[in-house]
Amino acid sequence: MVDLTTILAGFADAFTLFNLAFVLLGVALGQFVGAVPGIGPIMAMAIAIPFTFGLDPLPAIAFLVGVNKGGLVGGAVPAILMNTPGTPDAAATAMDGHPLAKQGKPLKATKMALFSSVTGDTFSDIVLITVSAPLAILALKMGPIEVVALMIFAFSILAGLIGNSLIKGIIAAMLGLLFASIGQDPENFTPRLIFGYWDLFDGLALPSVAIGMLAISEILHRMSEAHGNVQSTIVNKDTGNPDDRRVTWAEYWSCRFTMLRGATIGTILGALPGIGSTAAAFMSYAMTKASSKDPGSFGKGNIQGIAASESANSAVVGANLIPLLTLGIPGSVGAALIISAFMIHGMQPGPLLFENQGRLVYGLFGAMIMANFVNLWVGQIGLRIWVKVVSAPESIIFASALLLCIVGVAMATSGLFGVAIMLIFAVLGYLMSSFGYSLVIFIIAFFLGPRFEKSIAQSLALTNGDLTQVFKSPVAVALLVLSVVSVIWFLRKNAQAEQGLPLDEPSE
Amino acid sequence: MKLKTTLLALGASILMGLAAPVAADDWAPDGPLTIQIGFGAGGSTDTMGRVLAKVMKENTGWDIVVENKPGGGGVAMFTGLSQRPPQGKLIGMGVSIPVLVQLVQRGDQLPFDVDSFDYLGTVARTELALVAGKDAPFDDIAGLVAYAKEQGTLPVATMAPPQVLLMKQTTATTGAEFNLVTADGAAEVLKLILGGQVLVGFAAGEHFPYLESGDMKVITSAGASALSYAPDQGTFADVGVSAYVDPVYYLATTKGTDPAAVAAIAAAIDEATKSPEMAEIVKNATQGEPLNLGVEGTHQMMTEGLAAAQILFAK
Repeated sequence: MVDLTTILAGFADAFTLFNLAFVLLGVALGQFVGAVPGIGPIMAMAIAIPFTFGLDPLPAIAFLVGVNKGGLVGGAVPAILMNTPGTPDAAATAMDGHPLAKQGKPLKATKMALFSSVTGDTFSDIVLITVSAPLAILALKMGPIEVVALMIFAFSILAGLIGNSLIKGIIAAMLGLLFASIGQDPENFTPRLIFGYWDLFDGLALPSVAIGMLAISEILHRMSEAHGNVQSTIVNKDTGNPDDRRVTWAEYWSCRFTMLRGATIGTILGALPGIGSTAAAFMSYAMTKASSKDPGSFGKGNIQGIAASESANSAVVGANLIPLLTLGIPGSVGAALIISAFMIHGMQPGPLLFENQGRLVYGLFGAMIMANFVNLWVGQIGLRIWVKVVSAPESIIFASALLLCIVGVAMATSGLFGVAIMLIFAVLGYLMSSFGYSLVIFIIAFFLGPRFEKSIAQSLALTNGDLTQVFKSPVAVALLVLSVVSVIWFLRKNAQAEQGLPLDEPSE
Repeated sequence: MKLKTTLLALGASILMGLAAPVAADDWAPDGPLTIQIGFGAGGSTDTMGRVLAKVMKENTGWDIVVENKPGGGGVAMFTGLSQRPPQGKLIGMGVSIPVLVQLVQRGDQLPFDVDSFDYLGTVARTELALVAGKDAPFDDIAGLVAYAKEQGTLPVATMAPPQVLLMKQTTATTGAEFNLVTADGAAEVLKLILGGQVLVGFAAGEHFPYLESGDMKVITSAGASALSYAPDQGTFADVGVSAYVDPVYYLATTKGTDPAAVAAIAAAIDEATKSPEMAEIVKNATQGEPLNLGVEGTHQMMTEGLAAAQILFAK
């Protein structure tokens, strides 16, 4: 156990003006790259790591943590203002954020995203700092069989997002899984559906697919609707009501349970390596919608939707460090980059990290707390600027966004091959959304697909193909039962919604 | 075919050897020198490659750019590299085993072979180990085989095809059956062992903190020789298995590059691998020491590695 003097010394190391400056720099950079479509915090971290070589370990890691945390807040900005999420985890935020922005309340929407993001992040940081060791042991007990059950549960929650046509929802999910199966199979490493392109050997790159489907296809829609007119990207109607420009305490407080649920989902999924923030954001969104008294208002600018999504995807970041610090297992690409930075600076994450380098770890925790406050402060200023920026004519904004997406994807996937894939998926996304197929369901299925397949292969290898072994795992059984319940429940709810209940009235 | 390959390799190495000392000091890249890493950001190859680039830049003053070009365990990157004009501006860094495996399995579909490159040197060798949780009821490979026979089958976590084949050879040689669970990298192998879902698995140094904390123990080496840090644990040869897996981190450039450029870059790599920065990062990433086999040694390592991989994959 780490003694109190180490903890205090660690925090004392962290809370210096020098470190604050690096956190500030990191958060500002992170929010900027997060808000620019096409460039995400992950890429910014990958680029920034070599620049931290010359720094001491603590400011270097504080800087990277700042970039990561700032990026999550920034990611919500294009999703809300332009409906072009730069990363898939912000796609859930766009579902209510963009309608709210269109109603002339862009500042309210982005501020709600900022507040719930920081709230979720702080929640998971507190969990990380206080109970990371026991949580990591619990996460270890989640073997392949339990992970499969958890993924099935995640898919079942998607049923809540399917909307009007069950068939179209299933088609979108199946297409996502089909594209996820491109590349080598997880068990025998045989290349599938690569058609001689070795660049596809490791599968389609997520940035290409996500940015093509979510951002570029939206730009295509806007272009097709413009009819040669010059108009602002977002019409900032001044309603004269100051409450439309800010989030009141009553509104924030009304989302407390939503944010708590989001933060809890994010923390649990973040502690399990490989599932990630996108699934957390959508699970939280779907659960919030399902438990709401007024589910019809979701997708039309309900502030609860923003709170659900942002609190969950931000909570994942802190929780990703739980398996990383205690076990040395990175839970995401961002966490893998932080591990690489740790190693460059001579830290070896794993079971002895707290004993050997407790002071540095608590310094890191101190830096994370600082980053949360700085996020709030930088965000308050940054959001105003972004809202002004997107008031520019569409022709300027979308042309620059398109250029940035191309540059960003070219950098993230190291070449033009990724850009070509992005453009293919942009057209596919445009067609799918024009014909009423859910892009969101496609993306989540695509995102969870590889992990799902791998876990199934692992489970089958472990059990020698004997499915009755599942009954030996109470956790898996419970999750599977929950999945069945949630599918039936969501489908009944969808059916009720279709049977003549007007959507804008409360359905219960 | 094999004789021709060996002769060509020998010829190329002699030529390079002759050219090297004369021109090494005169050459400098015309513009930036790009190092393409055959894996994504954040992995051990990437981490070592970035530090290598930094040290080379400090030592030589060259402008060095690092890029990640993941895909197929380095195959996508080496495919691209083999198609570039040999200008001495682009070099690739990858790991020997995944490339050799693809060459053996589907060499006819690849636009390159072992002789399509001018080799520049190596950075480190990974000591692949078979590790188990501290409570596993066996301490060495013989004990593991005996326990697997007694239980009927034993779950083993692997990360890549050569390890799968090594375990299959073990089954063929000893008759012990294994449930082979494919994990997504060493971190997941360790997670499966710590979570109790499997008893043993392969790791390349990532398990080191757990040896120190006493949560894990080494069963044996998966390489040709015993592990430097556990010499008493032997190798798979102890149970009569002749195959082994020995991944090496290496650098290469397009065949036909100006010998002066090859010599100068190889010399810069060699100088960098002797630096304390490289020693530290190699220690953190692989638990071993930097290892540079040199221009000829690297080519020989790849040629011999291909022959060894052919044996491993022979049905």
